Amino acid sequence: MKKMPSQRKQRRGLFLLLSILLVFCMFGTIVYAVARRTSREMSAAAIQNLNESLDLIQCTIEAILNNEAEFQGLVARELARAEDPEAFIRAYERSRTMVKMSFILSGQTQGVSNTGEAFTEDELDFSAGQTVGDMPVSRSYLNYMGTWAYTIKCPVERDGRELGVLYVEYVYDTIDRALPAEGFYNKQATLYIMDAQSQRFVLKPKGMGQRSAGHLNLDDFYRANSLQDPDIQAEVSQCLTQGKDILFYHDIRGVNALNYMWSVNGGTIFLVGYVPVQAIQQEGRTVNQNIIMVVAAMMGAFFLCVLLYYLSWRQQERLRREQEEERRLHSQQLSQALQAAQIASESKTTFLSNMSHDIRTPMNAVLGFTSLLARDSNDPVKVREYTKKITASGQHLLSLINDILDVSKIESGKVVLTFDQFSLNDVVSSVDAIIQPMARAKRQEFHVEVSGIRHEYLVGDETRINQILLNLLSNAVKYTPEGGHIWLRIIGLKQRSSQYEHILIEVEDDGYGMTPEYLLTIFDAFTRAENSTTNKVQGTGLGMAITKSIVELMGGTIDVASQVDQGSTFRVELELRIQEGHADRLFWESQGVSRILAVDGSPEDLNTIQTLMADTGIQVDAAAGPDQALALLGAGGAYQLALLDWDGPNLDGPQAAAALRGALPPSVPLLLLAEYDAHGLDEALRMERTGVLTKPFFAAGFREKVAELWADPSAADGPDAEEDSGLEDLNFLAAEDNAINAEILSELLELEGASCEIVENGRLALERFQSSRPGEFDAILMDVQMPVMNGHDATRAIRALDREDAGRIPIIAMTANAFAEDEKAALDAGMSAHVAKPLDVELLKKAIRHYVKGQT
Amino acid sequence: MKHHKHNCVSRWTAACLAAAMLLAQAGCGSHDNPQNLLPQDDGEELTISLFSPMEKTDPNAENVARSATDLTIAMAEERLNLTVSYITYTAENYQDKTYDDVTLDRARNNMDDMYLLNPDTILILGAEGKLMDLSGLESAKNLRDIIRTANTVDGKLVAIPQEVAAYGLFVNVDLFNQYGLALPNTPEEFLECCRVFQENGIDTPIGANRWWLETFVFAQAYADLYNGGNTEAEIEALNTGKARYSDYMRPGFEFLQTLIDRGYIDAETALVSEAIEAEGPDFLAGRTPIVMAYWGAANTETAYGKTDFEMQVIGFPSSLGQMPVMPMTGWAVGAEAEHAEAAMDVLDVILSDEALQVYSQTNRVISPSKNVSVECVPALRPLNARIEEGIYVLGSNAGMSVEQWGNTCLIVRQLLGGASVDECMAAFDQLQDAALSQS
Repeated sequence: MKKMPSQRKQRRGLFLLLSILLVFCMFGTIVYAVARRTSREMSAAAIQNLNESLDLIQCTIEAILNNEAEFQGLVARELARAEDPEAFIRAYERSRTMVKMSFILSGQTQGVSNTGEAFTEDELDFSAGQTVGDMPVSRSYLNYMGTWAYTIKCPVERDGRELGVLYVEYVYDTIDRALPAEGFYNKQATLYIMDAQSQRFVLKPKGMGQRSAGHLNLDDFYRANSLQDPDIQAEVSQCLTQGKDILFYHDIRGVNALNYMWSVNGGTIFLVGYVPVQAIQQEGRTVNQNIIMVVAAMMGAFFLCVLLYYLSWRQQERLRREQEEERRLHSQQLSQALQAAQIASESKTTFLSNMSHDIRTPMNAVLGFTSLLARDSNDPVKVREYTKKITASGQHLLSLINDILDVSKIESGKVVLTFDQFSLNDVVSSVDAIIQPMARAKRQEFHVEVSGIRHEYLVGDETRINQILLNLLSNAVKYTPEGGHIWLRIIGLKQRSSQYEHILIEVEDDGYGMTPEYLLTIFDAFTRAENSTTNKVQGTGLGMAITKSIVELMGGTIDVASQVDQGSTFRVELELRIQEGHADRLFWESQGVSRILAVDGSPEDLNTIQTLMADTGIQVDAAAGPDQALALLGAGGAYQLALLDWDGPNLDGPQAAAALRGALPPSVPLLLLAEYDAHGLDEALRMERTGVLTKPFFAAGFREKVAELWADPSAADGPDAEEDSGLEDLNFLAAEDNAINAEILSELLELEGASCEIVENGRLALERFQSSRPGEFDAILMDVQMPVMNGHDATRAIRALDREDAGRIPIIAMTANAFAEDEKAALDAGMSAHVAKPLDVELLKKAIRHYVKGQT
Repeated sequence: MKHHKHNCVSRWTAACLAAAMLLAQAGCGSHDNPQNLLPQDDGEELTISLFSPMEKTDPNAENVARSATDLTIAMAEERLNLTVSYITYTAENYQDKTYDDVTLDRARNNMDDMYLLNPDTILILGAEGKLMDLSGLESAKNLRDIIRTANTVDGKLVAIPQEVAAYGLFVNVDLFNQYGLALPNTPEEFLECCRVFQENGIDTPIGANRWWLETFVFAQAYADLYNGGNTEAEIEALNTGKARYSDYMRPGFEFLQTLIDRGYIDAETALVSEAIEAEGPDFLAGRTPIVMAYWGAANTETAYGKTDFEMQVIGFPSSLGQMPVMPMTGWAVGAEAEHAEAAMDVLDVILSDEALQVYSQTNRVISPSKNVSVECVPALRPLNARIEEGIYVLGSNAGMSVEQWGNTCLIVRQLLGGASVDECMAAFDQLQDAALSQS
């Protein structure tokens, strides 16, 4: 089927070609026919034209000859009347025509000439019997003047008796003078006069004519003009014998010419020569040129039309192809979209099925335990157990909802990274704080390793980086059986740019692993290693899709290697901008720390410590072991602090700590660099001015620890005391349309010793606040999505009230819209803080403390 | 895009319309001056008639010598605003009147204005007073002395050539080398070369025609006369009858007789052969090792300008070594010619240094003007070296009472025809006596 348009196009092209050829053939045939006819007619006209010209010359020459004969007759009669004919002859002075006159008396063989010498007829040849006006004419000869001549003889009679014979010599120069001085046919014609008897050329073309032409005789003419065809020569010979004219075509030096042998005076002499046909047909040439011009113009017009047609056709063809291509692309896109929609639909169907199960399971637990709670409300032990289980199910339900919302946001492109300065130390610490308990709960070992990092103060979205790490690590915990191992490695790779730290985050476990098939779809949304209906592991299947999206949003890459029952390794590569001028020099100077001693069995760790401390201005002296450290101390090293790797390789931590503590001055603190759950630390910590710094080493963590060591221990109690305080005696105005939520809020606040007045929408809240006394409410807790007037509008209206406390009363948003943009919208509307639902009492308390108590 | 396409079509249409208008205008052009349809002449143009020989050449070949003359004639026509009309004569065969015969007839009857004359006719017509004195021409002032001497008759400079015609032997050096022969200097060496050639199967080593065998005679006859330092006295002795031409001529004739007797020359063929026509093809084909010809033949492709072998042109054998023979052809003006003055003007142009430079460069020949020099082709260097040395004989000398070039040619023909050397010498004596009696 696809070949059809191509074949059609070929057929159309062939048809077009054939049409052009046909037009050409027709055109060519017409032009050929016209040209041929014109040529024939012109040829006939040329022959006629030359015929007439030669006839004219022939008549002229014959007239001259006849005049000469006639005049000679008159001279003969005059001579007859002369008393002394010989004296008459001698007295004659030659003219330009009659160059010699001779007379032989009858009966004598020798006579006289006007030139003075004796004259005989022996030198002349009259044997051919040719005549001019009945008078015998001799064969042509070269005369005494060095020019070609002929002699005519006539009898001289007196009284009927022949007195003698008069011989008069004529030169061909006379005839030459009678011919057109400019030649004929514009000097292009060649004309010889040939004596028929001797076939010698007696008159030749004048001027600078064709030098190599045969001027001598007929044979020379044949040779010079390549006239070697025996048939033509035979025909010419026959015509010469019979005194007939002949005209024929023959190329002279490559030029088409009409050749002629034209009999004069009955064949006594012949006009011999040739005329190029073009010379005769000068007008013909013009006609031909005009025909060619017209033909060329028509051909040009025809080709122009063909060209224009072709260009137009090509343009249309291109448009058609473009349209076809566009249609094909559209249909392909539609097909792909349909396929994607089908896949999405299938995925979402599966997802819904999973979600249905996943949501129903905790919901079932909530409802089931609620029923049990209603039944066993008098048994406090059971009530506490049921509420604990209800809380766990609720937490799980909440995490499910959070994940779904995250995916939805990422897919709709609403995720915006928030770049801020952070320290890798904070990231690792916070992740460690979350994962370590999880791992411990499953009796897994969780190790954090950092190597090759040159800069720990970076710029990026810390929250999202945390999210990546937590997703990967929580999965690792989830899919690793009890007693397994999990490693988090943060490795500094070679920098591509001096402004960016190139980091590889590696999360490895020795858990269940994944099949190759699943690895292909692991980063797709709504997929999970096992169908949730048959797997005990809970999850939405969205975690990895979210992780991959965030990594790519940060310009990084993520890949995974896994083998079933061997474990999995996730590798995330990120490039994060390095903070400028974050060296904490002032801090260290203020603490009086300028030189520290680091003791570590691992050269790499020592190197990392030195690298990370490089910008702080602190001199870090490295010792591979206690002996080396003691030697440095012995050498008089004045250190403000010593750092000892507690559980590093090639090192006995307790022993080394004791030795070092002993060698250090009592005022110099000793920090033990140890794993989270290192053994034997308690005993070591009993030593004076000895503390613990959790691995991995980061300058920021080190700084915090130093700040802690140098700080006043009593100051640390302040914030804790504050945290313990509740919300006693505070009065809140709460806008909440959902009665249950309102009740929960009311109960929670009452538990904290606060009172709360609930209104059902924003307008009521506004009116209630308007009608309240100044200071009646300490803060307004505002839901956002409410009927009549939403939280944002109500806040704006409250802030716009003409009351002294309208601008400063804290308004805290409490909403299920938990995204960053929701928080921003709330703040823009004039709210003081944003707390997401479901309510976390601690968070709410913290916010109230900050805005209400801080003010009061 | 659409707009652009529209513009394009408009431009095409405009161009086509413009072309159509131009064609229409060209087709409708009107004629000027409708009263007299004939082309208007500026007046009768003067035509000078020039009589010169016409060579019989191959139909499509150009005659270089003539072309050089034509170039100078064209200069004259352009400068003097006249036309020079050529009249030619070529003998059909040896029985016909020769070019010289016809020249004499035409000059004596004042048929033409200008003539190209061979050495013998220069002397005859000069002596008859039929030629103008050219010594007054501006161009005559540049002539080499030898030219002036050779063409002066009764104190009148009657002819001036466009080139100094030098005759020499054209030899096939490859054949000489093949048979281990050195190029001959003396008559004896020449005969030895011929003997060796003949022994090696070249029956007739010398290609000859009825015109130029006399050059052998001149070389031997006048080698001492022109190169002995006593030229004028010896010529004077000849003119006064104290010395005999026959005494000078005898060795050369005897030498020719030897060549004929030994078959080195085919006398019968030579007697009826025109120059180059008979001997040329055999020489070019490498069958004949020696021919004689004029300087210009080494330059023209129609003669010996392009050979497949190494060719050299050397002088004729003589007691003084290789001897170039230089007859003097020349342009002359009829004393009673119809357009004598105009013809003199034409001569002045074609013999000017400028014209002679063109002529000499075209033909690579020795110029009669002392101001014009051209380097010759390699083949001519041996001959040119001798001329530059000043060693040569004249083939004609108007200062001698007996015309040399023509008469010697005719008497050599007698020898070829079977006359004895003594009979030939008698003919010279007769000519000398006739000259002496006239004076």
